[in-house]
Amino acid sequence: MSKSEKKKKNKFLFELGLEEIPADMISPALEQMCQSVEKRLKEACIDHGSIRPFASPRRLAFLVEDLPDQQPEREEVVLGPSQSVAYDEQKKPTRAVEGFARKGGVAVADLEVVETPKGNYVGYRKIIPGKSLSEVLQEVLPQVLTSISWPKNMYWRESRFRFIRPLRWCLALLNNEVLPFEFEGLKAGNTTRGHRFLGEPEIQVLQVDDYLDQLRQNYVLADIEERRAKIAAEIEEVTPKGLHISSDPHLLETVVHLNEYPTLICGSFSEEFLKLPQEVLTTVMRHHQKYFSVVNEEEEIQAYFLTVMNTSGDPEGKIRKGHEKVLRARLEDSAFFWKADRKRGLEERVEDLDLILFQEKLGTYRAKTERLRTFCTGLSEDPHLDKAALLCKTDLGSDMVREFAGLQGVMGGLYAREEGYPEEVWKAIYEHYQPVSLEDASPSTRLGALLSIADKLDTVVGCFAIDIVPTGSSDPFALRRQAQGLVKVLLDHQMDYSLSHLVELAEKNFPAETKDKEVSEQVLNFLKGRVRYIFQEKGIPYDVLNAVLAVEIHGVYDAYQRAQSLSGIRKDKDFEALAMAYKRTKNILSKQSIELSAVSQENLIDPEERALFRAYSELKPKVDNNLEKGDYVAALKQIAGLRKTVDQFFDKVLVMTEEENLRQNRLRLLHDISQLFLKIADISEIVQENQG
Amino acid sequence: MKTFQEITHTLLEYWMNYGCIIQQPYDVEVGAGTMHPETFFRVLGSQPYKVAYVQPSRRPTDGRYGENPNRVYRHYQLQVILKPSPDDVQDIYLESLRKLGIPLEQHDLRFEEDNWEAPTLGAWGIGWQVLLDGMEITQFTYFQQTGGLDLMPISAELTYGLERIATFLADKESVFDLPWNRELTYGQVKKREEFEFSKYSFEVADTGLLFELFDLYEKESLRCLEEDCVLPAYDYCLKCSHTFNLLDSRGAISVTQRVGIIGRVRSLSLKIAKQYVQKREEKEEQISV
Repeated sequence: MSKSEKKKKNKFLFELGLEEIPADMISPALEQMCQSVEKRLKEACIDHGSIRPFASPRRLAFLVEDLPDQQPEREEVVLGPSQSVAYDEQKKPTRAVEGFARKGGVAVADLEVVETPKGNYVGYRKIIPGKSLSEVLQEVLPQVLTSISWPKNMYWRESRFRFIRPLRWCLALLNNEVLPFEFEGLKAGNTTRGHRFLGEPEIQVLQVDDYLDQLRQNYVLADIEERRAKIAAEIEEVTPKGLHISSDPHLLETVVHLNEYPTLICGSFSEEFLKLPQEVLTTVMRHHQKYFSVVNEEEEIQAYFLTVMNTSGDPEGKIRKGHEKVLRARLEDSAFFWKADRKRGLEERVEDLDLILFQEKLGTYRAKTERLRTFCTGLSEDPHLDKAALLCKTDLGSDMVREFAGLQGVMGGLYAREEGYPEEVWKAIYEHYQPVSLEDASPSTRLGALLSIADKLDTVVGCFAIDIVPTGSSDPFALRRQAQGLVKVLLDHQMDYSLSHLVELAEKNFPAETKDKEVSEQVLNFLKGRVRYIFQEKGIPYDVLNAVLAVEIHGVYDAYQRAQSLSGIRKDKDFEALAMAYKRTKNILSKQSIELSAVSQENLIDPEERALFRAYSELKPKVDNNLEKGDYVAALKQIAGLRKTVDQFFDKVLVMTEEENLRQNRLRLLHDISQLFLKIADISEIVQENQG
Repeated sequence: MKTFQEITHTLLEYWMNYGCIIQQPYDVEVGAGTMHPETFFRVLGSQPYKVAYVQPSRRPTDGRYGENPNRVYRHYQLQVILKPSPDDVQDIYLESLRKLGIPLEQHDLRFEEDNWEAPTLGAWGIGWQVLLDGMEITQFTYFQQTGGLDLMPISAELTYGLERIATFLADKESVFDLPWNRELTYGQVKKREEFEFSKYSFEVADTGLLFELFDLYEKESLRCLEEDCVLPAYDYCLKCSHTFNLLDSRGAISVTQRVGIIGRVRSLSLKIAKQYVQKREEKEEQISV
């Protein structure tokens, strides 16, 4: 390896200047860029210190420190002729080897014999000097920039190169010197740009270390954490006393990346708008305007908002007035919707659903509504549930939901409440899209939970029936999320509907011509996959999962209880031994055909098999009783108690005897015992500690 | 304070001085300035072009009988096409705002992601909405496709919402209170129009007749194409589009129909764009729509 480890003292600063990058794409791109730098420097054998990322809407940048002057030297062995060809019988070099040495510019005397797997060859060692840091960076940078993948690219000049937004400048400084580098028509220089209106249009950076300070003086905070901290501090500062903002981490992240110099102001709106539902106010503020809403200790919304400006201040209150005016117009619009939408009752709106398409092949929302009603009736006779199912999609035709799609369900619920429907009905409508993610709460009411299950399963089964199936990263109808939501609701509400029953119920609603024979099987497997995912997230070990999912999942909640019980007992010595014995049993049973019938007591000859039968017969009612109660821990402990008897049975009794009737009888006994477990799990899947 | 017409005038003058052709509004009903042939056709092909014009734009579903302070049946867009898009296009645009007397350093201006798309025109682009103190005043788009055809060079399209900018500058609550000139307000000039067209599109329009008209316009558009009259074909395509919008505001279009009708208008646009480009290549015309 390299003889002289160079002093690491070089710094490299790179900034790509572009037109405003969409806020939500900045972090992922910056991360990709820095990872790519790291990977490519490693490939080039360039050690380095930290890579610091910087970004603002108009720039992606990084600073790498402690870079060496160049790549380390490499030693390469150049092989010539084989040893036998290189020297004659007198050990004199042949012409072949002389030619080889001449070509390589080395003396024959300096050649050495190199052992290789193919035999001995003559060769010499050659030192290949490393490329300079500058050369390496010039090679690496274009690869780094082209490796960033964006959700939606564009062309902007006559080049086939696409990027998220047009590139406008490029700064590349290696220890304060411009790195000669050109990319897509941009020549690297040492200038950057300040804030569009408050900073200088061109700023010369003479010292790498001055970069952040110079930008700050020009009203650009390129350090993301600095912006985040400024926003956090100013939220505290400007929020009226005794109030706080309604927590919104996603919005916070967006405003961090939406501004080069974020500054907060607090505005207000007329209290008359407080008669609008809180959900509407919050959505209007965040959705179009990216404002934080302000609440009191009781989380009740107040007539204030916080906005993050892309400038340093608003001494005359002009900006605040502007934002207040825009918000007022938006709130007026919403107040108009809130009033106009309620002129027609939800029941009247059901027929509007004929005009709203759910999916081309699966029909309108009217058709979906009817499917939901049939499904719900199959689960519960509660008339409130049927009413909720009938009305749950009607808000899709309302002006408010057309304006704010995120309020679907919520508006339906609120309109139903205003119309005086019972709480069971309006809450079920309100909550039926929940949970929208695993972090989101399940519906709080039982009817809400049932409607949520109905809605999600209808979408999943319907899509599978017309072959819209999630593959890899493609899942246009978010079926994975829907199915996860469904499983989460079943679990959170401790519901014991069997998955196959639910799927069957949902599938019956789709007309024969759209149905594919495989669908219910396929959907069940898909749901099982989601069950597995959620159980894993909840910390169930994978072998326990395998064991529990190997037997039929009746209810999701039941399966979860079985998994938890099994996780608790799997380390128990008796249980482990029994699991081993069961593996043998399963092995034997899988290779034999058994005619199933009751174990014949007369044909039990050996004392050990009689003992086992006795123990089993005594245990079965107790185990069944515990299974009935869902007390899987007790059942598993009881079964584990069989361990000694089972061990003795296998020690002394020859199952595979020649005598047909004895053999069948013993197989039946083993089969019966294995059935005890199989109501809980296939414990042969449990991986023993000593097996790894 | 600038009146509505002074704002329009200032912007047109700015773009005229920049070197744009100043065009007039198109005389067929359109929903947006993008549908003017000066945008639809000019962004196709390779000839450079710079144009600015005002386009009254009809949105039947936005009609509010002149009662909503922010929504109108017909609003005014000021549209600029710069082909190819200059490197400093954002700065040039921002300078136009300064010309209107907006001290940008005292305001909160942002470019927020907003990618424009017009399915009936087979057109889409990448860009932003420009927000001034929270108000959307301009749509800024780099055209990527029109009539389903990939574009090169790329044109920049700036669409100013004139009412929005005027509301901002005039510090008025309602668009109808804007001074059109020193004597008349926007409301005085426009309110009757707003009321009658809202009434027409929500209550009066004869949907049976409109469906027939749609079919006739479509047929004529296709016939024009057969006769190599691409520009007249486009006029009838625009008429189809407007007729569809009217039917939509009357709530006369069911889901299945909607998909079908959008598809029919789109199919016309694609044919028209394709034939326009082909003809242009055949004749190698210098510059004429």
